[in-house]
Amino acid sequence: MIRGLWDRETVAMMLLIAIFPVVALWVMAEGLEAVARLLFFLVVAGVWHVIWMLARAQPPSIAGAMTAICLAMLAPRELGLVALLLSTSFGVVMAELAFGGWGRNVLNPATVTLAFMGFGYPVAPWPDLAVQLGWAAAPAALIGMATGVIAAPLVVSTVLALAVGAVLGVDYAETGTAVAVVLVLLVCDPVASAATRLGRWLNGALFGALAAAFTAHWSGAAPVQAMVSAALLASLAAPLLDELSIALWVRRRRKRFG
Amino acid sequence: MSAFWTTGLPLQGRVADAASAPERVITAEATLTATARDDLRVEPLVSEGDTVAQGAPLLRLRRAHGLVITAPMPGRIAHLDLGPGQRLERIELFHEPDAGRHRHEPPGDETDAAALRALLQTSGLWRSLRSRPFGHVPAPDERPAAIFVMALDTRPGAPSPATALAGDEAAFARGLRALGALASEAVFLCQEQGADLLPASEAVQGLRILESKAVHPWGLAGLQIHRNFPAAPGRPVWDVAAEDVTALGELLGTGYLRDTRLVSVTGSAMRTPVLVRCQPWADLRGLAQGHVRPGPHVILSGSALDGRKARWLRPGDRQAAVLTPEDHAPVDHWFLRALRGASRPLPLIPSAALDRALGGEIPAVPLLRALSAGDAEGLIRLGALSLLAEDLALADYVTRAEPRLSRMLDSLLERIEAEGIA
Repeated sequence: MIRGLWDRETVAMMLLIAIFPVVALWVMAEGLEAVARLLFFLVVAGVWHVIWMLARAQPPSIAGAMTAICLAMLAPRELGLVALLLSTSFGVVMAELAFGGWGRNVLNPATVTLAFMGFGYPVAPWPDLAVQLGWAAAPAALIGMATGVIAAPLVVSTVLALAVGAVLGVDYAETGTAVAVVLVLLVCDPVASAATRLGRWLNGALFGALAAAFTAHWSGAAPVQAMVSAALLASLAAPLLDELSIALWVRRRRKRFG
Repeated sequence: MSAFWTTGLPLQGRVADAASAPERVITAEATLTATARDDLRVEPLVSEGDTVAQGAPLLRLRRAHGLVITAPMPGRIAHLDLGPGQRLERIELFHEPDAGRHRHEPPGDETDAAALRALLQTSGLWRSLRSRPFGHVPAPDERPAAIFVMALDTRPGAPSPATALAGDEAAFARGLRALGALASEAVFLCQEQGADLLPASEAVQGLRILESKAVHPWGLAGLQIHRNFPAAPGRPVWDVAAEDVTALGELLGTGYLRDTRLVSVTGSAMRTPVLVRCQPWADLRGLAQGHVRPGPHVILSGSALDGRKARWLRPGDRQAAVLTPEDHAPVDHWFLRALRGASRPLPLIPSAALDRALGGEIPAVPLLRALSAGDAEGLIRLGALSLLAEDLALADYVTRAEPRLSRMLDSLLERIEAEGIA
């Protein structure tokens, strides 16, 4: 019998291809330093994947590279080696590998790592993302939506929620880039976001609303930190939103069919 | 009427409807095989060497008294193999064109449900019905809440039901009217958008017509039942192929059982797809002969998505797939073997392809996650009692799931039935 294409590794590869515009512009903007950081996180995440493969016969996933890219791009600067190792290991192991690898995890390992860094090392400066990264997020989202690895409702509802915020007077001049990059890198992770139709709309709207609220009212935070927090909260709410969506679907069917 | 969210995967490989009528082919042998799992306990009504007319009873089922299996073609019984406990293993017929056709006595009143049931059961047509939940041949006294007549088949390479029905509209309408007497609530006819299967003169009262886009998986009965009339224990829903309804109409009209069905043979190892009218249980090698590319091939009864390796056309199937086998043997190493064996079932990553594989209306990811976790209650809540293994074949194809989702659904349904969870 014939077999198709969309197994776990294909989706992970497709996600990597989708975020390629962002990654390319980031490497161009930051040069060799970016490459070195990326290499560091690739090695750390890769080593943990190999350890879990040997210890637990858990096949490694190319999605580990996605985590490394997110961390290299968004992690606070000037963290010591120990701090970086500790937080990356915590995120990769506790948020992904301990659950059984990518596809079984609840939260995105990069989101967890970044939140861990934010809580654990609050004085470390967060990176300033170049403006063009925010624009590169648009083609990234388009590639993802066209190939079906990024859910269109998630992106559309985020944009709508942000637009509502703009109408209410929120100014995204400072956080806009961070919102866009965090949206495509962290929020749109198909595993860590909602997986039902209504759930996706709500998930995106929640992230957009949180992003708008943090922009307006969280004055002390760096844009990346605020948006990572918004992504973490939206991701934590995803299973609840899915459950809500299913409950409504079941109720509607019960009404219709008795 | 098709809903806004309805999606599917447009699959290539519908057999082009030939301009001329499909050729009639009766293969020299026809065989019904059964496995121990089918548990088909029978009482033979014929013995090896007997000559039987087409439509004559061959075997009576011991579990469901009154149900018989009839001869698909006039012939001689070549083999009749019964296993322990009178379980059927194989019954094979050689074609004898002169053996004639067996006439069944049609009831005088076609709206008399009891007489119709008796006719369906003694003619063997009863076995073309399938009851959900659980997908068995209905018990002789089961009364369905609804019957779905599938005049839409979207599996890759499936023959067009419109071609199968062409010219027999009157018999089709007659069969539909008869089904109306069996169902307690409704009879649904699923057809392609814009299809015109019943001429105005043959309108059937009370028939509900469901139109769907011809994208897979919407031509599967499971998806249509899930959307329009979910099956539940105590409220069974039957599905039947449109061509078998025509056969019922013909049986009511003439007393003779229809002796052929429209079957397509497609696949990567075929030079050209073939569309024939052949008998049930036909010899698939015989049908494919002369059209297969040189080299090794495997023959599946059913489509390339959900078919099973078989030499003979299985009773419910209307297509066969002849495929070139994938000849790469997996690299064998103890470590790779360990990786392949561990951490199963493989995780499912939500994607648009996965949503579409279940038609776009069912919450696909929660349903499949409940399935891989063995969560029977979650599965029932999402309406999986309307589904059968074949309905998840497309999701299997799309996601390369391991073990197959369809097989997991099969065993979970079996467990639900055995434990009476539903």
